[in-house]
Amino acid sequence: MIEAIVAGLAALLTPQALLFMLIGVVYGLVIGILPGLGGVVAMALLLPFTYGFETAATLALLLGAHIATIWGDSVTSILFSVPGSAKGLALCFDGYPMTKKGQAKRALAASATGALLGGVIGAVFLALCIPLIRPVILALGPSEYLMMALWGLTVIATFSEGSLMKGLTASVLGVLTAFIGLDVVTATPRFTFGSEFLMDGISFPVTMIGLFAVSEMMKLAIKGTPIVDRALVQEDSTVWQGVKDGFSHWWLVVRSSLLGLWIGVLPGVGASVAGLAAYAQAVQTSKTPERFGKGAVEGVIAPDATMGANEGGGLMPTLAFGIPGGESMAILLVAFIGLGVVPGPDMLTKNLDLVFSMVWIIVIANVAVTLIGLAITPWLARLPSLQANLMVPIVLSVCFVGAYATRSHIEDVLVAAVFGVVGYLMDKYRYSRANFVIGMVLAVMIERNLHISLTLYGDDFLLERPIALAMLIFVLVTAGLPFFRNWRRRRVQAVGGAAAE
Amino acid sequence: MSRHAQENVVSVVLLAVFVGVIILCQDFGTRARMIPLPLAVFGIVLTLIQMAWHNFGSTAELQMDMITVQAPATPGGTEPAAAAPQKPREAAAYGIIGILLGLVYLVGIIPAVFVFTAGYFLLSRYCSWPASLIYTAIFTATVYLLFVVALEMQPYHGLLAPLFE
Repeated sequence: MIEAIVAGLAALLTPQALLFMLIGVVYGLVIGILPGLGGVVAMALLLPFTYGFETAATLALLLGAHIATIWGDSVTSILFSVPGSAKGLALCFDGYPMTKKGQAKRALAASATGALLGGVIGAVFLALCIPLIRPVILALGPSEYLMMALWGLTVIATFSEGSLMKGLTASVLGVLTAFIGLDVVTATPRFTFGSEFLMDGISFPVTMIGLFAVSEMMKLAIKGTPIVDRALVQEDSTVWQGVKDGFSHWWLVVRSSLLGLWIGVLPGVGASVAGLAAYAQAVQTSKTPERFGKGAVEGVIAPDATMGANEGGGLMPTLAFGIPGGESMAILLVAFIGLGVVPGPDMLTKNLDLVFSMVWIIVIANVAVTLIGLAITPWLARLPSLQANLMVPIVLSVCFVGAYATRSHIEDVLVAAVFGVVGYLMDKYRYSRANFVIGMVLAVMIERNLHISLTLYGDDFLLERPIALAMLIFVLVTAGLPFFRNWRRRRVQAVGGAAAE
Repeated sequence: MSRHAQENVVSVVLLAVFVGVIILCQDFGTRARMIPLPLAVFGIVLTLIQMAWHNFGSTAELQMDMITVQAPATPGGTEPAAAAPQKPREAAAYGIIGILLGLVYLVGIIPAVFVFTAGYFLLSRYCSWPASLIYTAIFTATVYLLFVVALEMQPYHGLLAPLFE
């Protein structure tokens, strides 16, 4: 264990790994600050650069960029009430009022400090849980992995934003899209229409570039106006005030971090939900809840601490079970495939040093982001508006070149464009794009483990594997619980309404 | 077309996709269609329920957010319905994607970046034409250095390339 911790750190102390982490952090901050682009886009665009380098350096680049986007997202939410991505939404509630009150520097610094403390707590949790979770992982077989993949799918679909049916439909579409190409079990070409290109399947990175980056640029082109067009009032706060706020509200940070860890461990729930839940928790536990929404610094610290810790929690199911904790973890899984790393039991036995490298990356990247963030905060407060007419051509061009660079297939550019339009329409009609991606990633896991289970244990494999059966019951209960709660809430409202009449 | 009708069109398209999957699955062996076939049927059921609720029931019945389960009273927790974008701008957005895609296929990937970016800056009047050309040249050179030189990507030269050889 100690050897793995040291080896994990040593792997990061190479010039290439340190340089990649620095590049990742700076790039992530820029992408996070750019409105409309978040961690998923940052990682998706970096994927073509990840092949052929050291594993630790590649992960430092990807995770460093992703961690940096957390705070980058918060910047635009706080300064302009424009969330860089969905997870930055909670920062708008109190961060923007703080900016309007002339406390932008304090809000940004409190946000960076909260994210740092949450990130460190998340990394420590990940490191502590590794030895505990190892025996559990080793006791699990393909049937249990199948159930976990199904659980991941139902949790995602159940907690999807907006319509439940649309969330489930998006997941189904994602799974079916993953089946395009040669079936890994039977070598049957599926949904290829005789195309050689489709025999290789639809590339995950290209799909994500289309679904998220291209569609976001379409939205920006439609909006047309600069996203950031607000004149700032005179600034009367300091960076140091914000740093002190982060440490003085240590109990709120701990509570929010634990919430972030829990949500991170749940596959597919994601940082956007974590941020909002943290904000709600901060309001509900505050002695002065009336201050929230008017510029309370706790409303900034809590979501950032939660989102920082969420990364450590999200890595747990990703590494241990191969189930992505969110969209960004799904991209990390894609990177693992490119690096020849197989998540699951092997990750916690043969690749333990790599797991600890990731723990160190979270800690070091969080420290780097905070230091850089605090240094640039005074300038960020004066950030000029970025015009849509500048962003759209540049980002779209990078997206298309990146899509082509993934496999050097010109058809991938077409795929990125098609998924860009699909992503735009999905967003417009509120079919969750996240569910689509998670469905796509989990599809292969579901199919492979189902076939292995059938081969090993026969058609009645659930009866042969009682743990899998228990997990299936858990999956069904988890899927049914929100329906029950919804029904009960409606019933209580109906009874209350009838009593009032 | 009203939002209501658009939602129905989307549902019909989804139904067609799922039916198509079922038809295609008939050519696969038992194992190869073990998951796609029932999944497509599930997709049809979901879409039909969605259509039924959309047309005959309250749309609120379909809303079930994590936030409403965890924190019913979050300010701004529920996302407001997106305002309908202006149709010409939406058509322009599709056109932008189409033009860039067409340029990539016609002139190749790096020249397409230059032509598209310069054209966008000029047509949107983001800056003057000399500035547009300078910004575009710097950006294209950066993309070339990153992807072609650093990543050793073999650039696609486009369908028109044989005319210039």
